[in-house]
Amino acid sequence: MIRINEMFKKLYKISLVVLLAIFLLYVFNEIHDLASKSYLSEHYISKGVQETGAINLVTSVLYDYRSFDTLGEATVILTASAILAFLVPLRKVAMHGTKFLIIVHQTMIFIVPYLAVLGSYLILFGHLNPGGGFVGGVVLALIPIVMTITYCIEFSEYKFKPNIKTLLEDLGSICFIILGLFGIVTGSNFLASGQSNLGLGNPGELISGGLILCLNIIIGIKVGAGMAKIFNSLIKGE
Amino acid sequence: MIDIILYILIIFLALTAFFMVFTKDMLSSIIALPIFGSILVVIFVILQAPSAALAEAVITAGLTTGFFVITINKTEMQND
Repeated sequence: MIRINEMFKKLYKISLVVLLAIFLLYVFNEIHDLASKSYLSEHYISKGVQETGAINLVTSVLYDYRSFDTLGEATVILTASAILAFLVPLRKVAMHGTKFLIIVHQTMIFIVPYLAVLGSYLILFGHLNPGGGFVGGVVLALIPIVMTITYCIEFSEYKFKPNIKTLLEDLGSICFIILGLFGIVTGSNFLASGQSNLGLGNPGELISGGLILCLNIIIGIKVGAGMAKIFNSLIKGE
Repeated sequence: MIDIILYILIIFLALTAFFMVFTKDMLSSIIALPIFGSILVVIFVILQAPSAALAEAVITAGLTTGFFVITINKTEMQND
């Protein structure tokens, strides 16, 4: 009787998983059928380049049509880093780590300029190529993280001061809202770049797309500083 | 040809995911996470989603692995 009871318990869990899988498969099948009838994606694909001036349609949706959602995401990162920096005590404890060979130290010399160039490229060419402010900012934030893991936290904080990181992150949030108000000044809604009276430039050039380039740079700096600050706050402890 | 590569990659994706969940050693589970991410990046590129592939490569292979390594470092410090 006990054995039957245990078998029933196992079968119960497995059948729950299988039922969830069947339910999800059914739902996603229905959603896939719905998405083919939507007209909004057709509008974005056919008229996105003329309306926003950005070739990369993902960036044009993120920073022009739906830029208010990007403001929300930026606020989430700002809140998380502020609360972490507030909660974690500032006493420093050295990581008990391993001693690296000279190969790792020599690789650091090559990989840090590569990360810096790649991050800047992803941020500046966000409206022409795949990439954008978030990904470029995370690539830039990898530089202090790699320095912290390889050397120690004192060296990383000597190279990138915590006060400067906090200042950059706060400036990023404030400049995002100020650029959004710039859309109201030019005669349109909050955070509007394509619909306002700004010159969009020729699609395909580096300086084009109105506010999208400025928003990319600001989001990149802000996300990079925020991620580095979160990591350095987590590494300190009791 | 590209379909066969896609199916092989999807099978490897499932294998890495099962290894990541069911292995006993914590450190090998963490090192399996970037492998999972790299296979997913190739699948995204084959399915023509380069923006998602970039985000996946940077965040999974770079940031999450660093955070997990730090977490393992901290928790081993308490066991001693």
